This record gives sequence, structure tokens and C-alpha cells, in this order.
Amino acid sequence: MTHVYKTYPSQIAALTDINLEIFPGQFTFIAGPSGSGKTTLLHILFCSERPTSGQVIVNGMDITQKGFKEIHHLRRTTGMVFQDFKLLKDRTVGENIAFALEVTGHPQGEIQRRVLEILKWAGLLGREQDSVLTLSAGEKQRVAIARAVVNNPPLILADEPTGNLDDQMANDVMKLFMALHRQGTTVLFATHSRDLIQRYPYPVIQILKGKKVEDELGIEVKADP
Amino acid sequence: MRLSLHYILARTIQDMRRNLFPDVATIGVITISVLIFSAFSLIAFNLAAFLKIWEEKIEVIVYLQRKTPAREVETLLNNIRQMGGIESVKYISSSDAMAFMEARLGGQKNLLEGIQPTVLPPSLEVQLRKEYRNAIKIGEVVSQLKQFSQIEEIQYGQEWVEMFSSLVHILRITQWFLGGLLLVAMAFIISNTLQLTISSRQEEIEIMQLVGASPSFVRIPFYVEGMIQGFLGAGLALLILFVLQRIVLLYLPLSMKDWFTKIPILFLPLNTLLGIIAGGMVLGFLGSFMASMRFLKYRE
Repeated sequence: MTHVYKTYPSQIAALTDINLEIFPGQFTFIAGPSGSGKTTLLHILFCSERPTSGQVIVNGMDITQKGFKEIHHLRRTTGMVFQDFKLLKDRTVGENIAFALEVTGHPQGEIQRRVLEILKWAGLLGREQDSVLTLSAGEKQRVAIARAVVNNPPLILADEPTGNLDDQMANDVMKLFMALHRQGTTVLFATHSRDLIQRYPYPVIQILKGKKVEDELGIEVKADP
Repeated sequence: MRLSLHYILARTIQDMRRNLFPDVATIGVITISVLIFSAFSLIAFNLAAFLKIWEEKIEVIVYLQRKTPAREVETLLNNIRQMGGIESVKYISSSDAMAFMEARLGGQKNLLEGIQPTVLPPSLEVQLRKEYRNAIKIGEVVSQLKQFSQIEEIQYGQEWVEMFSSLVHILRITQWFLGGLLLVAMAFIISNTLQLTISSRQEEIEIMQLVGASPSFVRIPFYVEGMIQGFLGAGLALLILFVLQRIVLLYLPLSMKDWFTKIPILFLPLNTLLGIIAGGMVLGFLGSFMASMRFLKYRE
């Protein structure tokens, strides 16, 4: 990300001159208070918003190129996890995960196999027939993570995935992200929780009022273990 | 990814079942619109067929001046036979005309007692070649016949032919004008009801886009849905029209039934039926295309 600016039509500057480089396989926290620009940053990386200026290269693709039409290709190599889960409420756990494989054209046999594998990985085996409405918030987030990673994307963007969860559930969810990191997946994890950041040994990018800062948030900067 | 026809159809049908109400409403609107259009087509088609039968039977009667000498009649007959478009010419003398009238009157031929055959003018029955049996060509032949001085009057039911021709023409124009209006209205209605469908599935579409569905994966089922709606709506309209025509014919008063035995009442020909169904599908596609242009932009 080089000299990235994002200004909304109301002239509110969401991001100002952001420069950052994330290496493959790195787990990085994006920290900052609510409204600091973390979500905008992730949305730009996910191509759900365009920067006003600057250059962004994700998985080797320059997504700021004029007329960039390969958004769906980018999204197949990038999993996104949201605070509000974004699950299909009228489907089961299995159907929600299978959906990500269906839309990317996997054959039925492979879909069934992959869904079971990923449910096992997420600790949800046996729940595939359950409606997502019957799940706890932590379980819903685990389904959302399972859906995001079922296509084996090399990059995971997580926007406050533990924001709606209690400590126990947040720890369970964090374990999944750590497991992904150990498998070599690049993880960008946005959070406003100082406690969470200090508990885990990962480097932190601090954002305040749309700008990248060094130590204004009082968070210790750690090296990638 | 490659979208298989089987997958698209399965997904479209599943989507339609999940959104039954807007789909049924759209099909209903298409049915009514196509029914109006095809009813006009059916009337115009039958009138045109009737006009054709009528034109095929048409002949020109040329009344001669009473004192035309026989020698001149012979020359006139030869001249007319050499004209373009003439199949045959038959001379009917005053006596022949009287004999014909007596035969027509049958038992009441005494009505003609005391009337001299010379009261009836001699005439020529002119049969036209098939390609000349239409309002325009008849007009051309008649204007040539009028050049002969021995001819007093020409009759060929011109007023009826012209009026009927105009009626068919007006019906055809109305049919296409109305068709055009209905076409725009239908595309608009389909587009709007599909917008209802799309907005009721907004969450699903958003998630599809989030997990990397290609734009065609999201849009194609909507296009197919529009085409299925068009197909079902147009097919249903034609079925209703067919049943209505049967019912009308079944409940016709006896006096009219006799009349209709001489004129065949036809249903729309196969190519028109296929054209209407294809038109319905094209409209369905256009409606869904319009809706998708407005509502299925890839979420950035």
C-alpha cells in the first residue's frame, strides 16, 4: 500500500497517506479506536471500496488500476471475516460454508468433502445440518471463518471478528486465526481491543484518525515471531 | 468458472420457488399483455384470411352500352383478353341475363312477365388471374377497362374490397402500435418485479459477491428467470386465447354459425405462435437485464 488516501464525498478524510507492506504468511494486527479507519483500510484491500489516490497491490494484483474488473478473482484469493458474520440466515451451517465453494464452481463431491474437513477444523463437526440461527455468536463467527477459508485463500482480512464475543469465545476464534497463520496464511486482523493485541505476539499497525502512527496508542510494537 | 446449463436451471428454479409471489405477479402481467397483443393478432389474421378468400373469388362485371353492335363486342372481347391480368372473359347477352334471372327466381319467375330482355344490358364477366385479385391490381385493370367507349359501367364490389382492406390495415397498425406499447410496458414491469426479487435476495447477492462469485454467476440466473417468466406468461396467454376462441365459437348464435361454416375461423399459425413465445422470452430477458443493470452492479 503506497501513499493511500481515502476521502469520502462529505470531505471526511478516512485515510491519509497510508504506506504499508505486509509479507506473505505474516499475522498483523491493525489497531485503533472505533472510527480510526481500520475498516476502510480492510475494505480497500478487499476491493469493497476504492482509494481516492495511491497504489494498492494485493496478492500481486494492482487493485487501484483504472478499470480493474477482476474483483471476483481477488476475492477468491482473499477471505474476509466480519464482525456481524454475514451468514445466510435461512441456510444451515453446512450450506453457508458450501455456498462459497458453489459460487466458485467446485463440483458437488468436492464441496461435501471440503465442508466436512473445514467443519472439523473449526470444531463444528456434527453441526452441519443446524440452522445458523440456533448458533451462539462464537459459533456463528467460527462458521464465518470456515466459509472465508474454505477456498484456501492465501490472505485473510478480519474486521473486528471478536468485537461481539465474550473472552472465551474470542479466544476460541483467535485460536482459529493462529492456526491459519501457522499454516502459512497471511492474516490482517483489525481490532480496537488493546487487551487482545497485548495477549498475542504479533506485530501491530496502529491507525489513528486515518493516519498510521508509531506509539500514540501506547501499544508495544512487536516483531513477527 | 464454467456455468453448466443444468446448474443454472436448477438454481433459477430454486430461486423462483423461494420468491414465488413476485414471480407469479410477473407471469400474470406478461400473460395479460401478451393476451391483448395476440387477441389483436388473431382478429387481424382472420380478417386478412377472409379478405384473401374474398379477393380470390372476386370478378369484374363490365356492363356494355345496350346498342353495342355484335361486331364491336367481338373486337372488345379480343382486346380485353389481350390485357395483362385477364384469365377469361365471358359475354352475357341481354337474353342470357334474363335466363339467368329466371333461373335464380325459380318459382317466382312470373315476376319477370312482360319485361323485355333488352331492359337488361349485355355484360362481360371478367375473371382475373390469381395475382391480380387484390384491391390495387383490380384498380389497375378497371382503369384500363374504362378506356373502352362501349363500356357503360364496371362493378367489382370496389367499396367493400377497399373498406375491408383498410380495416385489415388499421388492425395491423393497431396491433403493432399496441404491441410496441405493451412491449415497453412489459419490459418495465418485468424489470420492476425482478427488482423486488433482487432486493429480497440482496443479502444473498452481497454474500455471493463477497465470496468471489463472478458477475455472470450472479446475473445469469436472473436473465434465465426473466426468460422463463416470459416463456410461461406468453405460453399461458396463447393457451387462454385458444380456449377463449373455442368458447366463443361454441356459444355462437345459430344464425352466425351458418355464416361461419363458409368462412373458416383459424387460430394463429405455428410460426406466429413461436414468434410470440420467443418475443415473450426476449422481453423477459430485457426486463431482467434492465433490472440487473440497476441493481446487480458488483459491490465495490
